[in-house]
Amino acid sequence: MAAATALRANPDRNFRYWLLTPAIFLLLLVGLFPLFYSLIVSFMRIDMMDTDTSFAGLYNYANLFSDKRLWAALGHTLLITVIALPIELLLGLAMAYLFLEKMPGRQIFISLLVLPTIISPIVAGATWRLLFDNRFGPINQVLGWFAGYPVTALWTLNPKLVYPAIIFCEIWQWTPFMFLILLAALSNVDKSQTEAASIDGAGFFRTFRRIVLPAIWPVMAIAILIRGLDLVRIFDIIWALTAGGPGTMTETISVYTYSQGFKQFETSYTAAIAFLVIVILTVVVVWAIRRMGLAK
Amino acid sequence: MVTRRDLGKIGLAAGFAGTFTRPAWAESAADIAVKAAQQYRGQTITIVWEAGLQSLDPLNFSGPKWKELTGIDVKVVEVPVAEMFTKIMQDFRSGAGAYDALNVIPAWMPDLVNAGALEVLDPFVDKYNYRDELQKIAPTYRDNQMMVNGKIYGFPDDGDVFVMYYRTDVLGDPALQAAYKEKFGTDLPVPPTNWKDFDQVGQFITEFTDGKPYGAAFFRESGYGNFMFQERFRNEGGKFFDGDTMKATINSDAGVKVLTDWVAENKWAPPGVEQWGFVENLAAFLQGQTAMTISWPPYGRWAASYGTDQEVMSWVPKSTIAGKVGYAMTPGGHPELAAGFCLSVSSASKNKEAAYLFIQWLNSESVSLERVKLPYALRDPFRDSHFTDPGYAALWPEAKDYLKALQDGANNGLLDLSLLQTDKYEEVLRQSVSKLWAGEDPKAILDTAAGEWDAITEKIGVDKQKAVYADWASKSGAYPKM
Repeated sequence: MAAATALRANPDRNFRYWLLTPAIFLLLLVGLFPLFYSLIVSFMRIDMMDTDTSFAGLYNYANLFSDKRLWAALGHTLLITVIALPIELLLGLAMAYLFLEKMPGRQIFISLLVLPTIISPIVAGATWRLLFDNRFGPINQVLGWFAGYPVTALWTLNPKLVYPAIIFCEIWQWTPFMFLILLAALSNVDKSQTEAASIDGAGFFRTFRRIVLPAIWPVMAIAILIRGLDLVRIFDIIWALTAGGPGTMTETISVYTYSQGFKQFETSYTAAIAFLVIVILTVVVVWAIRRMGLAK
Repeated sequence: MVTRRDLGKIGLAAGFAGTFTRPAWAESAADIAVKAAQQYRGQTITIVWEAGLQSLDPLNFSGPKWKELTGIDVKVVEVPVAEMFTKIMQDFRSGAGAYDALNVIPAWMPDLVNAGALEVLDPFVDKYNYRDELQKIAPTYRDNQMMVNGKIYGFPDDGDVFVMYYRTDVLGDPALQAAYKEKFGTDLPVPPTNWKDFDQVGQFITEFTDGKPYGAAFFRESGYGNFMFQERFRNEGGKFFDGDTMKATINSDAGVKVLTDWVAENKWAPPGVEQWGFVENLAAFLQGQTAMTISWPPYGRWAASYGTDQEVMSWVPKSTIAGKVGYAMTPGGHPELAAGFCLSVSSASKNKEAAYLFIQWLNSESVSLERVKLPYALRDPFRDSHFTDPGYAALWPEAKDYLKALQDGANNGLLDLSLLQTDKYEEVLRQSVSKLWAGEDPKAILDTAAGEWDAITEKIGVDKQKAVYADWASKSGAYPKM
């Protein structure tokens, strides 16, 4: 009785829930439904080449453990991440420090520096493929000028060159992202504290470790997390540069998943791979958030 | 005793019988298709076609002409070749029926038929009297690329075959020939007909001319390398599988020899050849930087500068070797019928009859002849009449020799491997080729590849795949007749 009275007193209380319903429905439809549907598919035997769509139980998940190519792809992903991420962070930080102080043309330089970030990664990859081309690419040509003889380095085929080429492209495109975020964070550090430290005789590294880093850490941690996740799902640049080759030497987990799903048509197995990646990422992200102190 | 008079009577009777039982003899397949299609005036049919130059045929020529003759609009869906199979399967599986007619690579046919994505064409062929004209398609294509399990699912529509191109001025240079004879004690073979001679001549040219031009260059990029491997492996006597056990045998001595020879050839081929695909190889040959190469038929037309003055062909480097190119079958005498296209009707189409009539018209003797002569399109001669057409033979001075090489290739060509889920097997080959260029050992590469092939076969089902392989291997173009 009291509740009915309360509702009558607030006639718009249910109305606002009705207003939210379409948005919630849409979110469920495009977010949760595909997720659950993929989960169901991962327990079936669907591939686009066969009419058998029977229940497969844990068959696809069991296959994940014996799939050497999958684990190799995870290894390649990890390798790129652990090399590219620290370099992007350090370069981004160095660049942010460089542009912290006012200087002539600062805004123009910053605008030019962030240009790579706004290019679509697949376009960047295709452009770098042309630049690395052994016959017509300018990189070999320039190297040839210095060497004094024609250079025909196979940047996307030679095992010794292919990872440096990929990582270089990745760093070129995404270091500006780190730079921008860290520049914003550094700009907000209380200058009176750093000046006081300087007067007290603290050197650059000590000031950075004791004052600047704690101040920018929440922002830096978010940047590391975002870029880390980006690197784990790296696809475009690799697809455009090497398509995972030579052989499967540069195949990352995203490239492998795409290949299984859209080239080999292993629909159910691809769904199982996707869930494995979700589980791994969830564990890593939860661990990282706790470790970085972002969950406070 | 049968007299001349009796023969005349028999002939007359046969003529009458023919007239009454097949009154349409007087009409060509193209005319029949046009007449029947007019009932669908105002409708639109959608056809999947390879994006790029290939699709200029229906966009600029056949589509508008069909519209003019029948009142049927043709909507061309351009799809890159690497995505065509996926798009066709997705359309079929979803039941959308967005495509009526299809361009299908013959090696995909078992998979598409197994899935039920292609319409059986036999009833239409009989209804519209197309069987006679179908028989005039060159035997290799007709007998090997048209049917699955004895039923017609596609009309072979593109005479894709590898051809060896060589510079007649370089190989015919008296100084080079004399030096060759002095070094090897034999005449320089023009052109080389086996790989031993080809490699010897190629290396000699590179050394003699100091790389101006290089002896030869090849497709080495893995996507093309797959075709090159399939051809050369079989010319070396290799078999893909043991027909009894379905165990892969690509790691045999023949396979290892092919990969080992490739690595050796790269040492006298242009630097960086490991990454060369269609365009790189084309540019080098047309610019006179290589003396021999192997590729699809368009190289021959473009080397003769046929059609390259058109704006859409502006990306093709200007030929510096027109009039200096000889055409021959690839070393070993059994060139790969690499890729190719068939015209099919989608089983999900809501307009099957109109779609069928369009592909019959496209594929008919008269219309296909016009299409293979389009300078900007990439359809290559595939009918007996194309190879002997005086109009085609007059397109450039050496066109008659070119057509002869294409016909010889068609008569002796080797089919692409075609099994259930062929692309999975080919993907392993593609990866093997790129592993080779990364410096891995040929034997180790092929042992791994054979293991991966076995795993694919086991997943599909050994007996199921064995039956498909037996059907493919029984075809005349599966393996060379040694």
